Amino acid sequence: MGASDRMVVMGCAHSAGIARDEWAAEGCVLPDDIEWVSLPCGAGLDELHILRAFESGADRVMVLVCNDGACQSVTGNRWAEKRVEEARRLLEEVGIEGWRVAFKTISPTMVTDLLPSIEAFRSFAPAQDEASQEGTS
Amino acid sequence: MIVAERKPLAEILSNVRGAGKVLVVGCNTCVAVCMAGGEKEVAITATQLRLALRKEGLEPQITERSVERQCEREFVAELGEAIAAHDVVLSMACGVGVQTLVEEFPDAIVYPGLNTTFMGRPEERGVWSERCIGCGNCVLDKFGGICPITRCAKGLLNGPCGGSANGRCEVDPENTPCAWQLIYDRLARIGQLDRLMDLEPPKDWSTSRHGGPRKMVRKDMVL
Repeated sequence: MGASDRMVVMGCAHSAGIARDEWAAEGCVLPDDIEWVSLPCGAGLDELHILRAFESGADRVMVLVCNDGACQSVTGNRWAEKRVEEARRLLEEVGIEGWRVAFKTISPTMVTDLLPSIEAFRSFAPAQDEASQEGTS
Repeated sequence: MIVAERKPLAEILSNVRGAGKVLVVGCNTCVAVCMAGGEKEVAITATQLRLALRKEGLEPQITERSVERQCEREFVAELGEAIAAHDVVLSMACGVGVQTLVEEFPDAIVYPGLNTTFMGRPEERGVWSERCIGCGNCVLDKFGGICPITRCAKGLLNGPCGGSANGRCEVDPENTPCAWQLIYDRLARIGQLDRLMDLEPPKDWSTSRHGGPRKMVRKDMVL
């Protein structure tokens, strides 16, 4: 499997969302094959959101939430990480590799890191024998 | 509450594969609280089924429904039309709910989506533990409100056994406290340690499962 055909980024509005807005204010836009879903908080993420993204045709999902200590719901970012782990487990039951869901924390000021992180995961393709173990978290 | 967990997807697939129309029915009571068979878990299971069957080149119609209590006739009655319109029903309720659907809709093919595990309580988020086996003759009054039948690995009524060490049960010291340590501590706390001087006679298990399937009739309620 090569680079992504359709990728969904689920970003917390308090960190990734702010970085994205600043990036957009500079005139930058996300590639057409990347859909951005704004989360009011990482704590609002549910594994069902991730499963439904795959059901709707996504072939990988990236979750971007606040750094430790910066989450406005205190542990919402870690809750989101738990949901990502559960989504990976549910997807693997279906036969979809867990590495297709990435989890990353980011600060609102990491504007320059945003697109490289997304692009790195978008083009990520583990070797066949590593596919079941690789991920970007 | 009744505690249950979702069956492995492969087991569910082995039952519903080949059906053109699958109705996934949740229960919004006990199994919703233990996050095994409520509305959300129905959605997750239905989505997993769609994804898995799509990979196999199959596109069955999978419908999601949930009722307030799947163990009662009045609550499942609303499912009649939906059940008739589907080939297979996947019940995300406890075993009682599954059998209620079978009894109320005798022509329907109903498969269980959960493994019913025990009657228990949530200790903390994501952790449930057993508290009652439904023996039919409650002895909690004698043991400070802690059930030795359920919580002692040996079900001892005159404990503890020699496997109690440092307040833990030898069967699983890391995760299981000795029920008899709990009973002693509790009785000491409420000033009823003298209760432990009474020898408990062998229990009459005829009120439990050992007497066969049980049925309760309240004649004052039957018209």
